[in-house]
Amino acid sequence: MLKETQSYPKYAPGTYVSNKDIINKNITYTWWEPEVQYSWSLGPAYSRFLQELKEGRIIGRTCKKCNRVLIPPRMFCEYCYRPTDDWIYLKDTGTIETYSISYLDPNAQRIKDPILIGVISIDGASPQHGIMHYFGEMKPNEIFIGMKVKAIWKPKKERTGSITDIKYFIPIKGGEKI
Amino acid sequence: MRKVAVIGAGMTLFRRRLLETGKELSFLATKMAMEDCEIEKKDIDMVVMGSAPDAFDGIHMKGENLLDGAAATNKPYVRVFNGGGTGVFAPIAGWWHVASGVADIVLVVCEEKMSSCYPHPQTAFQHIWDPVVDRPLHPNLVWLFAMEMNRYMTVHNIKKEDIARVAVKNKRNAVGHPCAQLADEKITVDDVLNSEIMAWPVQRLDISPPSDGASALIICSEEKAKQFSQDPIWIDGVGWNIDSTMWTNRDLYFPRYVANAAKMAYKMSRIQDPRKEIDFAEPYDPFDYKELHHMEGLLLCDKGEAPILTREGVTQRDGDLPICPSGGLLGVGNPIAATMGQKVCELYWQLSGKAGKRQIPTDPQVGVGQAWGDIMQMGTVIVLRRG
Amino acid sequence: MTFFEKQTDPTTPMHWYGNMQADYLYLSGVAGDKFFKHIIKNDTFLATKCPKCNKTFFPPRIYCEDCFLEIPHSDWIEIPAKGKVELFTIATVDTYGIKLEKPKVVCMINIDETDGTLLGIIKTDDLEEEFRGIHVEAVFKSKNKREGTLKDILYFKKIE
Repeated sequence: MLKETQSYPKYAPGTYVSNKDIINKNITYTWWEPEVQYSWSLGPAYSRFLQELKEGRIIGRTCKKCNRVLIPPRMFCEYCYRPTDDWIYLKDTGTIETYSISYLDPNAQRIKDPILIGVISIDGASPQHGIMHYFGEMKPNEIFIGMKVKAIWKPKKERTGSITDIKYFIPIKGGEKI
Repeated sequence: MRKVAVIGAGMTLFRRRLLETGKELSFLATKMAMEDCEIEKKDIDMVVMGSAPDAFDGIHMKGENLLDGAAATNKPYVRVFNGGGTGVFAPIAGWWHVASGVADIVLVVCEEKMSSCYPHPQTAFQHIWDPVVDRPLHPNLVWLFAMEMNRYMTVHNIKKEDIARVAVKNKRNAVGHPCAQLADEKITVDDVLNSEIMAWPVQRLDISPPSDGASALIICSEEKAKQFSQDPIWIDGVGWNIDSTMWTNRDLYFPRYVANAAKMAYKMSRIQDPRKEIDFAEPYDPFDYKELHHMEGLLLCDKGEAPILTREGVTQRDGDLPICPSGGLLGVGNPIAATMGQKVCELYWQLSGKAGKRQIPTDPQVGVGQAWGDIMQMGTVIVLRRG
Repeated sequence: MTFFEKQTDPTTPMHWYGNMQADYLYLSGVAGDKFFKHIIKNDTFLATKCPKCNKTFFPPRIYCEDCFLEIPHSDWIEIPAKGKVELFTIATVDTYGIKLEKPKVVCMINIDETDGTLLGIIKTDDLEEEFRGIHVEAVFKSKNKREGTLKDILYFKKIE
């Protein structure tokens, strides 16, 4: 084996500057605030999905070839690569597939009371097919993977046709009728 | 299909914020790689640039902006990007150019300047989420990693101590690296376990930092390789694979897209028993648990076995299967695409015996580099072999 | 099949709205920082000259993109803030397509003694003038108001 005595990379070019250099104006910079707005087409699948959420229902799509029930619903099955077949109403209950207890808020700022967030596989859809959402009315030491949960909806007049029409998911207590 | 060799590599300092513009960083990395193999701009046939989202640098179409610092004016040029996978995907794209016969010497440059994005580079990450089903919940990228980490830990019943060992190993490994941002000789498992909880189970020292930096690689065809080295280092296998964006419809405990990419690369490299035939690996480690996740994805061990190997010291630099001898992203830094410096350039330096303090003592012949990107989707794998 | 379903109800949701929330702080870079720090204190420009091909870069750079050599500090030169108009246009609307109060004369100005050009605005009341080929000089903000960005150059005016 070639035995090189020199260590690579031989040097590390680059000039380190810190936040203080910017605050104290030791270096020059240009500040820019872009103004960009978007209007995304929903497409037929999300359009119906949001309409149903406003009515307090969760809807999915079926693919007859791979026999999956898809949530969030989509116009084509990405595995079979063909259009999906039918609409199907799903329950608003599910199982926690994974979760996190976050001490950071959406802007990466620290918070004292943690946010509970996770993925819920929805009853009626294929296994491990679900959505991301918040959890509520439970403590951080109570949450676990495999917990059965149900959606708590906002009151009808507050629903706008958005994933946030569901407020959060809460544990189903033993023996509770769903 | 022609054989392709690596003949030069370079990288800049990695820090949270560097003074240089993207073009200047590309220039510094390219200059080092060109000095390494003593070539000039005129010797380079084509250039490939790898750079992750425009939203970090804040310059739309930044591939076009960076090219004059990447020796690409008046040359065939292409920019590739698949999030974090770019660090290994850019050399793969370079490999296409040479293996196909359209170019003899190709320069691959990767650059990232995350410090331009305010208030934090994380703000740019908000835009990868689906606008209808994910973004209204205002998710934070750390949440996504925390959810995957939780799933992985729960399915395999892994303790946090074993995961924290990875952060300790990599930050200590980085001590021999001149570009390293977070090298720490004295860090312990307790330091990691006592660090601030960001989004359980992720804690502060489990995460690699955002960084500015650039790296460069020069590759060439078999005929030209003989002019540069008696014992060329070959790109022996490449693989890439991507999974669907519908991340809430997948079980995150195993990265099947990394396994698919690895199988493609191993087939090309005629590797049948990865654990035995591969001497060391540089899997992508933006979080400590990702190194374990990717070791299993690279088929270097059974599912759930990676933390056991780590605990037993097998993945240390002087162990049986060194993992991230460079210090990885946890120790050296994470300028997304420019991590090619740790994932591919490091393979080249180790295989040619040039890694100095970081050199693996057991005379390695075959190394594997891997990168991962997007929403738990992209796996890119490269195999380098000596002789 | 969804592809062929018609949406006949105008109240069905069709779009989702959002914006891109991120602000940017662009550091000037090694070359840019030296250039902007110079114009904070002086009414002249800086350029860099490649020691091999003698191409003079404006705005200045630390490397020659053709020879791919690093340009040493000794090859920075000071030049007057003057140039010749190569191309121009008269802008009557702004970025959003809204009519400007007063049309703007926007030019590419070849800076004297360099191979580079700068985008600038000429302040003038006479829009009928032939701008191509005229000599102009930069008018800066007063020194105590300069911040080290391109806005320290207020506009260009014709040299009589």
